[in-house]
Amino acid sequence: MRFPSRLLAAQIYFAAILWAAFYAVTTLITICIAIFGTLDRSVWEGATQVPRWFALFVGVALIREFLPLYIAHGQTRRQFGAQAAVTVALYAPALSALLAVGYLLETLLYDVAGWTQELARPHLFASPTQVPLVFAEYLVEFLAWIVAGTFMGAAFYRWQGGGLLSIPFGIGLVVLGEAAVGAELRLPFIQMPLGVASSPAVATTLATGAGCFLLGLAMTWAIIRDVPLRNRLT
Amino acid sequence: MNIEVSGLRVNYGDVRAVDDMTFSLDGGKIYGLLGRNGSGKTTLMSVLAGFRRESGGTVRVGGRPVFENSEVTREICLIRDAGETIDIDKVEDALYFAEWLRPRWDAAYAGELLDRFALRRNMKVKEMSKGQRSALGVVVGLAGRSPLTMFDESYLGMDAPSRYAFYDALLADFMEHPRTIILSTHLIEEYSSLFEEVVIIDRGRLVLHEESQTLLSRGTSVTGTAGQVEAFTAGLTVLGAKRLGPTASVMVYGDLDEAMRRKAREAGLELGPIAMQDLFIHLTEASGDAAPAAPAADASANPSGDAR
Repeated sequence: MRFPSRLLAAQIYFAAILWAAFYAVTTLITICIAIFGTLDRSVWEGATQVPRWFALFVGVALIREFLPLYIAHGQTRRQFGAQAAVTVALYAPALSALLAVGYLLETLLYDVAGWTQELARPHLFASPTQVPLVFAEYLVEFLAWIVAGTFMGAAFYRWQGGGLLSIPFGIGLVVLGEAAVGAELRLPFIQMPLGVASSPAVATTLATGAGCFLLGLAMTWAIIRDVPLRNRLT
Repeated sequence: MNIEVSGLRVNYGDVRAVDDMTFSLDGGKIYGLLGRNGSGKTTLMSVLAGFRRESGGTVRVGGRPVFENSEVTREICLIRDAGETIDIDKVEDALYFAEWLRPRWDAAYAGELLDRFALRRNMKVKEMSKGQRSALGVVVGLAGRSPLTMFDESYLGMDAPSRYAFYDALLADFMEHPRTIILSTHLIEEYSSLFEEVVIIDRGRLVLHEESQTLLSRGTSVTGTAGQVEAFTAGLTVLGAKRLGPTASVMVYGDLDEAMRRKAREAGLELGPIAMQDLFIHLTEASGDAAPAAPAADASANPSGDAR
């Protein structure tokens, strides 16, 4: 199989630009809170809710934009599926690394300014400087959210309105990923402490995350393996 | 690449879009695929390109099945109005992926075509006009140099100069890099000079497949004094008539043998060609009692209308 260099590069390039803008905005908010309010916790921690939704969007876009692009350029669904899987497997660590860097930069900023960088939510890590644990937690989350996006994106691409039926299963993938890190599930109108394990072993987390990733890929493949390209995108 | 289609069926739920279609196309020619709206042109080409699986029958390109066969699909390019190959952020992004995924991509030629159609690499595709999007599709289709290249109404939104630039580029590139090209269009008169052979389908079925010149020879305009024209065309299949004072011009369908032509000359009538579009309208008219795809003798030899 050909390595998906351009697909991966395009995704990472876009993510890096967004990350830079996102980090700048988050830092600005941090400074505003420090000036006009009371800053006693990590703002980056709260901000990391947003990239999970971005990861979901990336999963959807992989199907909606790149599946038709690949097939129209003479690639098979199997070739696309393999390249998309490799892309997700490498893209999620890249996103995770960017978030870990964000924590480190925030730690540096807080140290210089003399602010307190408390964490408000349960995590695999106790401190933002525990880079491997930070990386592992977000890696598992991103894998789950991206494959939830590919799965639901595939369902909507194939069945349009019928794709609504895929949403509970997509949420299931997300819940599985969040449960793997013992975190909270925060969706609009829903804030659910999962409490599967207060601090699951890293190996358990990674194994569950890998299982979630493979399950999401399999569910997506079941939909796209013979999907026809739509004549019109509406 | 040659194409062999046998008993092809494509269903959309309860609707049969392509029904028992059989034909074969030799490689290295420019084909016109003509049909009315909803006749099944896009569906047929989508199956030929592996965009969708056939419901029944067989499709072989270069002697091999198409669907999920990368050895075949990588040599096929279908440019549709849906814009699968260009619906990405910027023009340069579309070219970036085309270059990577198309084994025969000619980047220099793509650059030339961009200039010809006044497209810039930093243009955002979603902000481009319909005509510019169509032109970008043409760039991707031609620069891909696929052995089987298909354009499905790729002129939509393009102004006349751009359309003629497309025809010129297509013909020039075909001469330099011969391949099988299928053009689906409703602008029959603009395209017809490009077609070496024509495939006409209607309501999911093959109506006719033959050389353009053979098709054109089936239609004749008869011009002369109204009385003489009326007498001569009595009993023939008349496609249309015009009258200006004492002069009448009537389009008839069907071969005129030498005896008929001599009779016309003796009556002082002028015989001439008619437009492919007029023949197309006649062959696909909605009444369902269109003239046979070929004169009776030919039709009995090959009921499918396939000249091969």
